[in-house]
Amino acid sequence: MRTSLIETEQIEAHLLQLSNPGDALVFEAKLLLDDELSDKLYWQKSAYNMVKQYSRNQLKKEIEAVHQTLFRETAHKSFSEKIRQIFSKR
Amino acid sequence: MNNLIQTAAAREKLFIALYKSTFPSVAGYVSKMGGTFDAAKDIFQDALVIYYEKAISSDLVINSNEKAYLLGISKHLWLRKFKGDMLNTSLDGIDVTLDIEEQPSESKLLHFLETAGKKCMELLRSFYYDQVPLADAANLFGFSGVRSATVQKYKCLEKVRETIKERSLTYEDFLN
Repeated sequence: MRTSLIETEQIEAHLLQLSNPGDALVFEAKLLLDDELSDKLYWQKSAYNMVKQYSRNQLKKEIEAVHQTLFRETAHKSFSEKIRQIFSKR
Repeated sequence: MNNLIQTAAAREKLFIALYKSTFPSVAGYVSKMGGTFDAAKDIFQDALVIYYEKAISSDLVINSNEKAYLLGISKHLWLRKFKGDMLNTSLDGIDVTLDIEEQPSESKLLHFLETAGKKCMELLRSFYYDQVPLADAANLFGFSGVRSATVQKYKCLEKVRETIKERSLTYEDFLN
């Protein structure tokens, strides 16, 4: 793996707390000395958040597609009728 | 853990089954409380996201009582909505944090990543969110093995990291 990827892997190990105590200590020392590394750490943390946000949005789209299937397709008519009745009783 | 729910087709099957088993109860509850069909739908869909995130993380095994679990989350979400309480609350240690609004610059970024970096985002989703084991992910995305999948994962992560950095700085310029 090329050097930058190894560094990315080390940042990940640090952020996800996967490294052993010795490695963690060495990495923390490096962080203090290397502004560029701290910068990468900062943005990599944002990257994980962004991946989470993206993934949740995609999952919500999948769930909405299921909803549309259940309420539009005739194969699921008895189910959608049952739900509609719940709200029509009021 | 649950290989069954880590592909799109398997998830679709799961969500259909959960909709059929639990949505009637959620709809009944929301209706009884004076809520609309759309409110029941929103709450149930958020509950499904929470359920999924718990099911794929190793710290919780949802066993046979998934219906009670989903109904519990839904009721909790309804009560919170009803009270207008948008703060993060917890239900038996479950963090319910789905209401956090994206920042405008964040949604712009997200949109950019969705269109320009879809392939990488899908790969990263499967690693970090769906928690698909490396060997399975390699298979799913057509890599020759775990090693090349790992390399690609870090390449994508770097790409996303650098994109966020560049874009965030640009958006900041717009604001200033």
